Amino acid sequence: MKWITARRRHPLAGYVVVILALALFGVGYAALAPTSDQAQAQTLAAEAPSADDVDIAQGKTIFDQTCASCHGLDGSGSALNGPDLREVGPAALDFQVSTGRMPSMDPDSQMPRKPMAMSEQDLADLIAYYNAQIRTNGAGAEVPTEVPDAGPQRADFDDEAAYEEAVSAYEDEYDAYIEGASNTDMGMKLYLTNCAHCHSWSGGGGALTDGRWAPEIHDSSPREIYEAMVSGPGAMPMFSDGAITPEEKQELISYVKTLQAEPNAGGIFDLDRVGQVAEGFIGWTVGLSLIIACAIWITAKQRAHD
Amino acid sequence: MTENNNDNNTGDDAKERVVGTPTDTTDVVTETSAKAESEHNGPYLASETHQHSEEKQRRGEKLASVWFIIAFLGGVGFIVSYFLFPPTAAGPAIADPQIGQYSNVLLGGTLTIAMFGIGAGMTVWARNVMPHYEVASPYEELPSSSEEKGSFSDFFMKSADESGFTKRPLMRRTLIAAMLPLGIAPIVLLRDTGPLPGEQMKVTPWVDGMHMYVEGTHRKIRAEDLENDPYGMISALPALDDERYPHGISLTDQAKSVILLIKMPEDDWKGGMNDAVREGSDETRLNWTHDGIVAYSKICTHVGCPAALYERTTHRILCPCHQSTFDASDGAKVVFGPAHRPLPQLPIGVDDEGYLIAKGDFNEPTGPTFWEYRKD
Amino acid sequence: MSKTTQAPKALRGVGNFIDDRFHLAKTGEKNLRKVFPNHWSFMLGEIALYSFIILLVSGVFLTLWFKPSMIEVVYDGSYERLQGVPMSEAFASTLYIDFDVRGGFLVRQIHHWAALIFVASLVVHALRVFFTGAFRKPREINWLIGVAIFTLAMVEGLFGYSLPDDLPSGMGVRILQGVMLALPLVGSYVSMFLFGGEFPGEDIITRLYMLHVLLIPALLLGLIVAHFMILWHQKHTQYPGQGRTDKTVVGTPMFPAFAVKAGGFFFFTFAVIAGLSAFVQINPIHLFGPFTPTSITSGLQPDWYMGFMEGSLRIFPNTLDFTIPIGAGYPVMTAVLVPGLVVPGLIFGAMGAWPFVEQWITGDKRAHNVADRPRNAPVRTGLGVAGIVFYGVLWLAGSNDILSETFSIDLYLTTYIFRVLVIAGPIVGYIVTKRICLGLQRRDRETLEHGYESGIIQQLPSGEFIEVHKENSDETTHVLESKPVITSTALEEDATDDNGVENPAARKPTGKLRRALAHWYTKDNVSFEGVEAHTGHHLHHSSHGDDKGH
Repeated sequence: MKWITARRRHPLAGYVVVILALALFGVGYAALAPTSDQAQAQTLAAEAPSADDVDIAQGKTIFDQTCASCHGLDGSGSALNGPDLREVGPAALDFQVSTGRMPSMDPDSQMPRKPMAMSEQDLADLIAYYNAQIRTNGAGAEVPTEVPDAGPQRADFDDEAAYEEAVSAYEDEYDAYIEGASNTDMGMKLYLTNCAHCHSWSGGGGALTDGRWAPEIHDSSPREIYEAMVSGPGAMPMFSDGAITPEEKQELISYVKTLQAEPNAGGIFDLDRVGQVAEGFIGWTVGLSLIIACAIWITAKQRAHD
Repeated sequence: MTENNNDNNTGDDAKERVVGTPTDTTDVVTETSAKAESEHNGPYLASETHQHSEEKQRRGEKLASVWFIIAFLGGVGFIVSYFLFPPTAAGPAIADPQIGQYSNVLLGGTLTIAMFGIGAGMTVWARNVMPHYEVASPYEELPSSSEEKGSFSDFFMKSADESGFTKRPLMRRTLIAAMLPLGIAPIVLLRDTGPLPGEQMKVTPWVDGMHMYVEGTHRKIRAEDLENDPYGMISALPALDDERYPHGISLTDQAKSVILLIKMPEDDWKGGMNDAVREGSDETRLNWTHDGIVAYSKICTHVGCPAALYERTTHRILCPCHQSTFDASDGAKVVFGPAHRPLPQLPIGVDDEGYLIAKGDFNEPTGPTFWEYRKD
Repeated sequence: MSKTTQAPKALRGVGNFIDDRFHLAKTGEKNLRKVFPNHWSFMLGEIALYSFIILLVSGVFLTLWFKPSMIEVVYDGSYERLQGVPMSEAFASTLYIDFDVRGGFLVRQIHHWAALIFVASLVVHALRVFFTGAFRKPREINWLIGVAIFTLAMVEGLFGYSLPDDLPSGMGVRILQGVMLALPLVGSYVSMFLFGGEFPGEDIITRLYMLHVLLIPALLLGLIVAHFMILWHQKHTQYPGQGRTDKTVVGTPMFPAFAVKAGGFFFFTFAVIAGLSAFVQINPIHLFGPFTPTSITSGLQPDWYMGFMEGSLRIFPNTLDFTIPIGAGYPVMTAVLVPGLVVPGLIFGAMGAWPFVEQWITGDKRAHNVADRPRNAPVRTGLGVAGIVFYGVLWLAGSNDILSETFSIDLYLTTYIFRVLVIAGPIVGYIVTKRICLGLQRRDRETLEHGYESGIIQQLPSGEFIEVHKENSDETTHVLESKPVITSTALEEDATDDNGVENPAARKPTGKLRRALAHWYTKDNVSFEGVEAHTGHHLHHSSHGDDKGH
């Protein structure tokens, strides 16, 4: 402390504090920014319960309790806040609920991604009830069950071995889907010409008008991406299987997921893959500041008694 | 002059003096009293002079050496890191991004240590081993004296007269005339850097009856492919298969002809869709759509980025570069941002088999607006 | 008095060999004795010099493999993810540097980080020179050279950014072409000639490569050498202090101390750039993918030094666009032309013109070697801050989509906010800065009069508490007393001469303008006239025995 006390009135003390603070801030930011590896780890997901053991009555209970207050008991929506659900299709329902966007507390604002509010079984029951009672003429897209969804959750399994087995099975399924795509050029072109202008080249998301935003898609499972494409949540346009075929969608999803999972060859900090804005920020706050700190050391005044 | 500076090189230390260090004739600015050295009151004097004690110099030498040794180790580490990773697939190759990252961090980290060590060592050397003093020196007297100026001017004018350049106009003018064409020649030589614009910027590969590929695939798109997309969008290119290009179409043609196919319920069309597609035409923009599908050029009319950010709820098409916003339901009119004119529209229809086709070229030149874009 | 070791024989041999041929002993000694004032802010230009050297060296390394060709190839190199993707040879060869050349990735990142640091250090160096008035006579030419270096550095950076032909870089070229097309009358011709046809054509990267590795670096190198030689000849400016005058410079001699410090600083600069390149990924072109004119990403940005252009392109409205109604009509797109040409012209033009404008206003033709303290030139400092705010707002506006997303602000609202800020910000910045300067001047006057606050509280016999003010050091007193008086010859000239005839120079519009500007430039100054050091009453309270406190 004595060392600091002796120098805190030094003419350069202020600069040193500012430089240190800036450097700390820059390094701190870079250290805290999540890497794509961590994001990838959260993507794992489980099998939907098979169609045999769905309980439509249970689904109706869930619908009436959690959905009907806005969307109406018959799913026709209410003029105030809940859109008509009768023609959106089960893919839209699966997407909204599995990404935690529905049920929503505030229908007027855009919902961020959250943990799902109900169990996989509840969701399966809900979808079964929707298909049986609410959906009109089979409108809207089906849930793409052949596309891997989120990985198994430890809480759903009693013992570790069963869980690990499920994870292993899931990973095989996931890898098979991702590696089943072979045409990087097609996936890249489809992604960069139809998706990247909102979700960014890295899947990091971006700004829309009126304060809305395109969410980042790091945490999205392949099935959720697929469902978002066919159902067009929020301001997102639809990409049905006619516009982009299922095989093409597989290429597209494989492209963006592989890109996101790839380690950063250029260093351990990827600045959240934001790009040039973050690079310029770090260049000034960390780079230039550190160099100037060195200049201050070199030219610091020397006292006779030092 | 004082005990502080130059009369210090006694003993072993003297061997380290090299030519060029200040001699006793240098005007060294110092504090003149010993008192100032032992007492400090307020801001420190810039001109203070200090010769480090031998003990401190020894410590400085050791510290600098430690830095240099660190730098040496860093440098050795750099070379080792280089050979740790074979370049080909023989071993853990750097073409694998994870191994590339290890390689990059190792090489860069060791290089950083080497560079920083040298820098720190040199700083310690300059600060703790070398005597610290400041000297005064005069700034150059910049304007020359009037004699020097006068002499220069006399000589210059006399010589200029001698040369006859001012007195012999014929020679002077012909020399200038001789230089002129040569001066223009480099500009003339640049003529072949590119063709004249002509009409090529106003035409695209789209012609009546041409099919469309979904971009990234070579799949022709049909109107009914979009039947499940009440609010659909897809990026498309003319269905060309020129074998000279990997994508069947040159980048230049892609840049002009890429379109955004947007489908929306026909109730959403606004009044602008009833405007004529171009002045004097009796076709409206709505005539150029098919079954709720409209095709706009994807290239922003501002400075040419792909304006692709389509919001199905507001029907806005936004360019991510500079946020020009066009209303897709209203003839792609500019509703916000710096763009000058609407996105050009492509007339579309279907052929006998239901495939979407162009029914001609765009109503206006695509791409950034240029001076003569309206001229026919 | 000093005993100097004899130069070693080998060194003497080399020295004699050179001197026999160039007669350099005297010049050499003079240069080794060259004096450099010590201050960290005098090292900022060196950062630029050293980054430039790093750029040259790393750039040469990159050229060994880079192929500036736009021929489309199908990639089959060793980077697995992009195998089978059509791309230009430029992009493929950049992937080769990244994934087949050991250390190639590092050197590419060093090159890019060094470029960011290079331009950033140019900016802070220019700001230091501006705020300390170091651009004044005799250094105006060197200031102009500096402005030219800054301009060229930006263009050099833009072209270099464009070379790998990745997604964002190609968009940078596209925007450049869009701005070119907006030029009235000649736009399409300029674009056709530069690109060898329509965008993107097959020539542009080859041509930008030539400009990037040959023409502009050669110009930059020449200008930097000239900049440095002029500095060397005129010697560096210094901050006010005892013994430092417009005629005498005080500092460390070139040899040995300054040379070693400057050398060490090169290694520090390199170390920081290498450190960034080792740990922080920059411009990951292999992740972006190759350029196609039809693809785009959100959050698309240029490198930071082009950010102000990007920002002005984003916020300038299209409402001032008009069409010349001749024939079919010819558009004049102010929304492109103003941001693309007028804004940079304004910034660089104002920078270049300022030394001459200031000289014209003040009529000060003296040579200045002692730098101003920024507070002592409040109008200049205020204008400088206004310029920083103007530039800074445009720069921020260039990332408005990132700001909108990060801070959840409506995208259009950010545009409106920046439109207001770009006008109001500089005005507020000017006023606030000028007031702060004047406040600091007042504090200086008080310190000069009363000494500095010692932090010691003393109780007087009357019971009153006072803080003891102590006498400033001679150095501080000198610095405070050396505050220059800001005047202008325009104000000294009488409107009429002795015979009552109006002064013709002052009567002309330019004369009137100059008088008005001179008034604006010199009013509001805290006068130190009549202030003598340590004459304020506070000092009487302090015990003089404490003045030289230990």
